[in-house]
Amino acid sequence: MTQYMISVWHEPDLDDNISDDDMQRMFTQVDAFNQQVTAAGKWVFGGGLEPVHTATCVDGRDGGNVVTDGPFIESKEILGGFWVLELADLDEALELARQASAACEGKVEVRPFQGE
Amino acid sequence: MAKYLMSVWHGPDGPPEYADEAVMQKAFADTGAYNDRLATAGKLVFAGGLRSRDTATCVDNRTGTNVITDGPFIESKENLGGFWIIEADDLAEALEIASGASAACVNKVEVRPFQ
Repeated sequence: MTQYMISVWHEPDLDDNISDDDMQRMFTQVDAFNQQVTAAGKWVFGGGLEPVHTATCVDGRDGGNVVTDGPFIESKEILGGFWVLELADLDEALELARQASAACEGKVEVRPFQGE
Repeated sequence: MAKYLMSVWHGPDGPPEYADEAVMQKAFADTGAYNDRLATAGKLVFAGGLRSRDTATCVDNRTGTNVITDGPFIESKENLGGFWIIEADDLAEALEIASGASAACVNKVEVRPFQ
C-alpha cells in the first residue's frame, strides 16, 4: 500500500465567489466521499485549509527564527485542501481522484508519498 | 486545539542542495528525532515527503468527463515537497513548532491553519 495526496487547488477568492447553496451541496458530496473512503479503510487524513492570507512562513535555519506573514509561493491557484489516502496503486488513486473531483467540484492533483 | 499544516516547498531543482552528504544525513536524522518528539507530545497528526513533482497527475471530473493529465496543477518554480500536520493550541504554538521543524529539516516552512 502507498499513501497518496489528493489535493484541491483553486483561485484564492473562491470562497468569496460561491453561493451558500453551492457550498452546501459540495459539503454534502465531500462528506459522503469521506464516509465512503473511511468505511473502506483508506482514510488517513482530510481537511480544508483556511484562506491563503492566514499563512505564515518560519525560517529557523542556522539558529535563527525569522517569521514572515503570507505564503511561501505566490501563484494564481492555491492549495485549498487535500486528502491523504492509503491505496493499492496509482490506478486506485486515479479512480478515487475521479470521485473526489466530482464531489468537491474541483480539479484535483494526485501525488504519491515517498515510502518509509 | 486546532490543526495546522506545516509545508516545505522545494525550488526548481528539487530538494535543497545540502553542503555534503553528512549535512543531509544530519537533517534526515534531526527531522526523524523531531517527529518522534512531536508524536510523543501528542502533537503529530501526519508527516510525509512527497515524491518528485513529475509523479503528479491531475484529474478533472467536475462535469462528469474525466480528464486526466500528467504533471502538477500549478506550474511554479517551487513545489510542495512534503508536510506535517500538527495539533497546536494556537498559532503561537504552531509557529514555535515550525521553528523547530525548520531547524531540523534545514528548510523554510509555511504554517497554515485548517478550517
